[in-house]
Amino acid sequence: MKVRKRKRQAGKAAGDILLLLIALIVLFPILWMLVSSFKTDADVIRWPPSFFPRSWVSDQYRYVFSILPVLNMLKNTVLFAGSVTVISLLIDSLAAYAFARLRFKGKDIIFGMILITMMVPFQVIMIPLYIEEYKLGILNSFAGLILPRIASAYGIYLLASFFGGIPKSLEEAARIDGMGELGIYGKIIAPLSRPAFISLGIFHFMNNWNDLLYPMMLTSSVEMRTLSAGLAILVGNHSIKYGPTLAATVVSVAPLMILFLFGQRFFMEGIATTGVKE
Amino acid sequence: MKTRKINTYHQKKAYLFILPAMAVLTVFVFIPLISAFVLSFLRIDIYMNDIGFAGIENYARLFQDGRIWNAAKNTLLFSALEIPLQLLLALFLVMLMLGNRRLDKLLRATFYLPYVCSMTAISIIWSMLLNANSSVLSYVLRRFGMAMPNLLNSVTGALPTVALITVWKNFGYTVTLLSAAALDIPAALYEAAELDGASNFQKFIYVTVPSIRRTISFCFVTILIAAFQAFDQIYVMTGGGPLNSTETLVTYIYDRGFQTTHDLGYASSISVVLFVLIALVTFGFRKQTLGEAEE
Repeated sequence: MKVRKRKRQAGKAAGDILLLLIALIVLFPILWMLVSSFKTDADVIRWPPSFFPRSWVSDQYRYVFSILPVLNMLKNTVLFAGSVTVISLLIDSLAAYAFARLRFKGKDIIFGMILITMMVPFQVIMIPLYIEEYKLGILNSFAGLILPRIASAYGIYLLASFFGGIPKSLEEAARIDGMGELGIYGKIIAPLSRPAFISLGIFHFMNNWNDLLYPMMLTSSVEMRTLSAGLAILVGNHSIKYGPTLAATVVSVAPLMILFLFGQRFFMEGIATTGVKE
Repeated sequence: MKTRKINTYHQKKAYLFILPAMAVLTVFVFIPLISAFVLSFLRIDIYMNDIGFAGIENYARLFQDGRIWNAAKNTLLFSALEIPLQLLLALFLVMLMLGNRRLDKLLRATFYLPYVCSMTAISIIWSMLLNANSSVLSYVLRRFGMAMPNLLNSVTGALPTVALITVWKNFGYTVTLLSAAALDIPAALYEAAELDGASNFQKFIYVTVPSIRRTISFCFVTILIAAFQAFDQIYVMTGGGPLNSTETLVTYIYDRGFQTTHDLGYASSISVVLFVLIALVTFGFRKQTLGEAEE
């Protein structure tokens, strides 16, 4: 028994070391980016390289802000990701309520159609979407960026399965008291589903904030660029040095990272509800 | 329930509830999806003049285009590397974390950190770190007497490298989902296994994995969907090269439609190939994909 116990402890220690090692592999590139963005040009490419800067400078940030309309890109990203998140939470939850709680003709077929679209890659509908926006005259505009994203199959599916798990007894009492469907949705189901709303909201905000292909394809002017698209195009023309690129990268990831560090609970707890119930 | 007639007043209300979502999905998903098939039979470029019917011309060209088979092969290869690696790594880490509840929270938050960053940003950082001539990593390797290969410039190495970086960015999300499910397993189940003298590994395989089976298949499906659409990391890190060795169907569609030839008709026919491939894979894994969604 003693041998076995010791063996188990050794195994546990090896496991812990492995976990910490992987944590290091995860942290290293991110820390390297943060630290290196405060190096001078000469320091960034110095050989032998050193992890920490010789002197901490903000030159790279100043340079990036002077060659790119960073604040405008930040504004575009917030406006795009923010409006998509707010509007789609409303539209998705209304539809999810009907699918989870109401009976109507064609419900299963319509729901099935919505589910199937979750499997279709964006790139399949990308070209028709581009042509459609061209014909509607909304390419390179906020309407063109926001409208296609304000309803999502995944959101409807997720909320419908969450609503489905809420006991019916609660709303039956309200219905007897004469409350309408909109009242039940707004006063009973929605408040009870806060974790699902938070989780889906974070999901939408993060995905749209980080998205590259979609905003890159639908916008063409510098004034309409989001952070991700602006960053990718900056790197794409290869004329820019490491230092400013790193600073621009930090600017693009910092807002979400700060949100994550302070609201970790919402990112991680929310996830538990998005999974499936065993 | 079907026998009872559905109240038409309630029906009308239900349709009002789904109306906004259905309007958006119809205009921006269903119509484009059908149009993709129509466009693949047209001669149309990005400047939208001189549009005409092409018959099966685009498809005839498709069969003679070596790049499309290469791209399809790369799409499958990327998925075959990325999906099992991400899932198995996450499962393995969850097993280790179950043995150490003290560090559990901190580790989960750490692993989740890259997931918050955009793929664009992650790709930029890793391209710099993997630069064989100037990066910290190559310096460290040299100190140990090893030369760092130029992974992203290698015909054989680039695709696996891009897949690995994708795993690096996304595994934390899978860990969080799986460990949330694993922490919900009643302790009594483990105690029973312990009485039978099961080792930690045996407990994980015979108690944990079967109990979180549905979460595992949920993760599998989400990773699968993401793998087939992987674009950002390829676009930023390799641009499909070297020698098209990282070109997948999605990057090829973008290349043909928006970058080189601006040939939207031909690009649409590649979209149809991608759609068919996805349909086949979805059908092959129908138990996991559709079964999951139906319940």
